[in-house]
Amino acid sequence: MNPSLLELVKQRTVLLDGAMGTELMARGLPQGTFPEEWNTERPEVIKEVHLNYFGAGSDVVSTNSFGGSRINLANHNLNGRTVELNLAAARLAREAAPPGKYVAGSIGPTGKFLKPLGEFTEAEFEEVFTEQARALADGGADVLLVETQYDLREALCALRGARRASGLPVFVTMTFNLTRRGYFTTMGDSVARSMKELEKEGAQAVGANCSLNSEQMTGLVKVMRPETGLPLIAQANAGKPVLSSGGQVTASQGLEDYVRFVPDLVKYGANIIGGCCGTDPIYIKAIAQSVFGRKP
Amino acid sequence: MHKAIVDGDRARAGELAAEAVRAGLDLVEVVAKGYVPGIQKVGELWEQGEYFLPELISSAEAMKAAMAVLEPELQRSHLRARTSGKVVIGTIEGDIHDIGKNLVASMLQAGGFEVFDLGTDVKLDKFIEKAEAVGADFICLSALLTTTMVNQKRFVALLKERKLRAKYKVLVGGAPASQKWADEIGADGYAENAVAAVKLAKSLAPGRS
Repeated sequence: MNPSLLELVKQRTVLLDGAMGTELMARGLPQGTFPEEWNTERPEVIKEVHLNYFGAGSDVVSTNSFGGSRINLANHNLNGRTVELNLAAARLAREAAPPGKYVAGSIGPTGKFLKPLGEFTEAEFEEVFTEQARALADGGADVLLVETQYDLREALCALRGARRASGLPVFVTMTFNLTRRGYFTTMGDSVARSMKELEKEGAQAVGANCSLNSEQMTGLVKVMRPETGLPLIAQANAGKPVLSSGGQVTASQGLEDYVRFVPDLVKYGANIIGGCCGTDPIYIKAIAQSVFGRKP
Repeated sequence: MHKAIVDGDRARAGELAAEAVRAGLDLVEVVAKGYVPGIQKVGELWEQGEYFLPELISSAEAMKAAMAVLEPELQRSHLRARTSGKVVIGTIEGDIHDIGKNLVASMLQAGGFEVFDLGTDVKLDKFIEKAEAVGADFICLSALLTTTMVNQKRFVALLKERKLRAKYKVLVGGAPASQKWADEIGADGYAENAVAAVKLAKSLAPGRS
C-alpha cells in the first residue's frame, strides 16, 4: 500500500510540479480563454501537461483550478460551472496520476478584497472556497493546496473552507515580498504570524510560492523554518519573463541558475519543493536530479 | 493635513480641506504644502516596509477626499492643482486583474496626475482612442500574467504602426514585468510598485512643473 502524502513527506523530499498557464499557452490556449475552461474543452491537453510533470519526476501535480473559485470564474461568466470545472480539474489529474503519485487540488486567491478594503465578508469567502474544495475533493484530489495567498485573512478563509469541505489534508502557500524590514505579504502579514496562524487553523503543510526566484526563496526558507514544525513548501519562480531573441517569452532565471539553489532549499528545511511561474517539466526534471542524484 | 493623509483618515482630510476653503487660504499652497507632503511620507513609509497595501489605499482615499473638496474651488478660481500630467491607465486585454492597477491609479491621482482609468481587459485600440481624446501624456499598461504581458509588447508596436509612438510615454507594470522587459519591448519605463510608479511618472513628466 502506498504511503499517504504526509507519510511520504516524513520519509523524503517531495516534488511538486511547475507552471500550468504557460504550458497551456504553448499548446495553443487562445488569448482571453480562461485556463480552467480547458478542463472540459481540451481535457486531453490538461492531462498531457500533468503526464509531462509526472514524467519529469513530480510526486504531486496540482489541478488546473487555480482560478476556479466562483468569484474568479464570474469574471469570465463561468461561475455557473464552478462545480463542473473543478470536478473535471481533479478527475483529469487523477486519471493522469500513475499509482503512488498524488493530486493536489489547487485553490488560488479570489482576486478580490475582504472588507473594509473590498466588498466581501469572511463568511462569503469561506463559502466560496468550501464549494471549490468540495468539488476538487469529489474529483479525487489527495490534498487541497491553497496557494499564492497575499492576504493571511483570505488564506485562513480558504483553509477553513477547505477543511469544512472534506477530510483531506490542506496545504497552504503564501506569497511574500522582500521589503527593507524582511519578508511580508502584500497586505503586510509577517512570516511568523502567517506560519503560526495557518498552523493553528489546521494546515498540514505551509510555505511559500511565486514572487521570488530560487535564490531569494532560499532566504525565505531560512526565515520560515524556525516558525513552524509543519512540513515546509517552497515553489520559486524562475525569475521574471524576458523576450528571447526569437521573440518567445522565456524566464530570466535560467535552468542552471535556478537549480543551483535547490540543495540550499533542502538544506534550510524545505520538505516539499516545486516550481512556479517560468518553470516547466525541464525545470522539474532538473530539480529531481538535484534532490535525488543523477539517477532518481 | 499631513497627519490626516499619513493616518489614512478620510473624514479628517476632507474636514481640513473644507476648513481651508472657509478660511480663504491659498488652496494651491494648501495642496502643495499640506497634502502632497503627506502622500510623499506615505510613499516613504511604504518603501521602508512600514506601510503595506491597506495603508496605501487608505491614504490614497484620504487624499481623494481632500481633493474632492479642493478641486471645485480651485477650478472656480481657474487654478489647477493637478499639474503633473494626464495618464490613461488600464489592465491590458485578456487580463482582468486589477488590484495593482487600481493602486497605481490611486497613487498617481494622489500624486497630482489626472488619471483616466479604463478598467480591465482593455483593448489596445481603446488605450489609444482615450489617450488621443484626452491629450494624455502617459499610457500605463498593467498585466499580471505572463500570458497577457505580451500584449504590452503588441501595444508599443501598434503605437509605432500608427505613428504615435513619440506622442506618449508608455509605462508598464505588473508582477511578471521588469525593467528588462520594458527595455526589450521599447516602453519608456517600468515601475515595480505604485510608489515607484509615481516617482517614475514624475521623472518623465512633461515640463509643467
